[in-house]
Amino acid sequence: MIFPVLTQSQKRSIGVLAAMAGFGSGGVLLVGELNVRFSQIWNFAQEIALKNSIPSFIVSLVSMVIQCSLLIGFISVSVMFMVWWERKISAHMQSRLGPMFTGGWHGWAQTIADAIKLLLKEDIIPVTANPWVHRLAPVLVFVPCFLCYAALPFGKGLISADLDIGILYIFAISGLSVLGIVMAGWGSGNKYSLLGGLRAAAQSVSYEIPRVLSVVPILMFTGSLKLTQIAGAQTGFWSLYGIPVLPRWFIFYPVIGQLAFIIFLICSVAETNRTPFDIAEAESELVAGFHTEYSGMKFSFFFLAEYAYVFLSSGMMTALFLGGGSGPFFPSWVWFLLKSFAFVFLFLWFRWTFPRLRVDRLMEFTWKFLLPWSFFNILLTGFIQLI
Amino acid sequence: MIRYFSRIYRVSKALLQGMGVTFCWLFKPAITVQYPDEKLTPAERFRGALTFDKETCTACLLCVKACPTACITLEPATDSVTKKRLAKVSWYQIDFGKCNYCRLCEEACPTKPIKSVRHTHDYEWGMKQRSDMFVKWRREQKKEETQLEKTA
Repeated sequence: MIFPVLTQSQKRSIGVLAAMAGFGSGGVLLVGELNVRFSQIWNFAQEIALKNSIPSFIVSLVSMVIQCSLLIGFISVSVMFMVWWERKISAHMQSRLGPMFTGGWHGWAQTIADAIKLLLKEDIIPVTANPWVHRLAPVLVFVPCFLCYAALPFGKGLISADLDIGILYIFAISGLSVLGIVMAGWGSGNKYSLLGGLRAAAQSVSYEIPRVLSVVPILMFTGSLKLTQIAGAQTGFWSLYGIPVLPRWFIFYPVIGQLAFIIFLICSVAETNRTPFDIAEAESELVAGFHTEYSGMKFSFFFLAEYAYVFLSSGMMTALFLGGGSGPFFPSWVWFLLKSFAFVFLFLWFRWTFPRLRVDRLMEFTWKFLLPWSFFNILLTGFIQLI
Repeated sequence: MIRYFSRIYRVSKALLQGMGVTFCWLFKPAITVQYPDEKLTPAERFRGALTFDKETCTACLLCVKACPTACITLEPATDSVTKKRLAKVSWYQIDFGKCNYCRLCEEACPTKPIKSVRHTHDYEWGMKQRSDMFVKWRREQKKEETQLEKTA
């Protein structure tokens, strides 16, 4: 590939990116570990509460509300960022430019403008729809996704609910949003929506199984279902003759790690209904699948949930296979976000490379290929554990 | 067994190749031209909007005869004293609703070195009304032209 001669705007973009990286890393080093800051704020709030004799349950209630709003804020901001990212990356992969005007620099404010547009759009409920099922479906898709974020470790000590069964909790709760998709498909009173909902249900239920089974080897190695403990077990390095070679991440376990990672990755893409597996909303076959009849804010909730699930899967992959927030120099939450967004990029990359699978092949792929291999992986792990 | 694994190998190799292709394209510069900010220069023989030079035109009517859609109309200037036709144009009108941008008028035009009716490279033009499509050039008659005729 010949190195292209840079134009003025490209030079400017590189300058802006370098400045952002410089200021960003400086700011990050200045802030340091976030859990230290949060505990400082928590102690300060408790002192104030003691001085003014405010009962402690009110303080903890307020803290919970703040935690929830932090998570909601993180989800919405990161989704906006991811949507812009998706549009830019897809555009550049297709030799286009993508949004360029809104906000000035490479259309960075395009998603904000789109969100405002979606808020102001008319909310339509079709005559043939069942109004309550139609109304509740986007809520039922988004709420489980939001609940899952509670058990996601964003770095050292940055977890809302450090459950002992964290990984099981995430799998169980994220499985609930299939219900929302089926409701959206059935409640819209549209045959395309119904087909999309049914396809989504079949697909999610099928891919859930190898997805859970691919994680079992990790659970066997660490002996815990706690996500922080799994991430913590992967700190440090594997050394050859005393020289550290590879970080002790689970993805670098020979054979088992890679197999588990690939199965988990494929199933995560299928779970989030993204392009190689997007038969639930296949545009060329089903108009828009289960969200054909949705508009305005309800549609944007489906959109939000899809991207939030993408980040959730990326975060889970980071915690399970890439050692969570372990890394040198920067604080742990930065490493977690960097690794997770690298996985988000992988998701986008898949989407704009691979064509859609046929429905029967999709089912064949999971039941005849992924499931046996995940069983084989568990068997292999068992043998290694015995030895 | 060997066929099974070789198939897995072939499929995963193809998938990785595809991902490599898209990754390479990610860093290639886009071919999009940011239109109002950047503009492409048209080809040399591009037939854009017609322009008319009312001073050099000799009102020979060759362009009117050459035009296949009969969109050109003109009136030659006349001497106000002798009522004789002059080799100048009084007004010249092109109906761009009819014009098919074929360049035959420019080829027929005898004025040298620059043709008085010719295509430009200008492509940014639109009309809001049908009446705007009649583009008319008027030439003011100068005093010395009529006097020149008188003395001759």
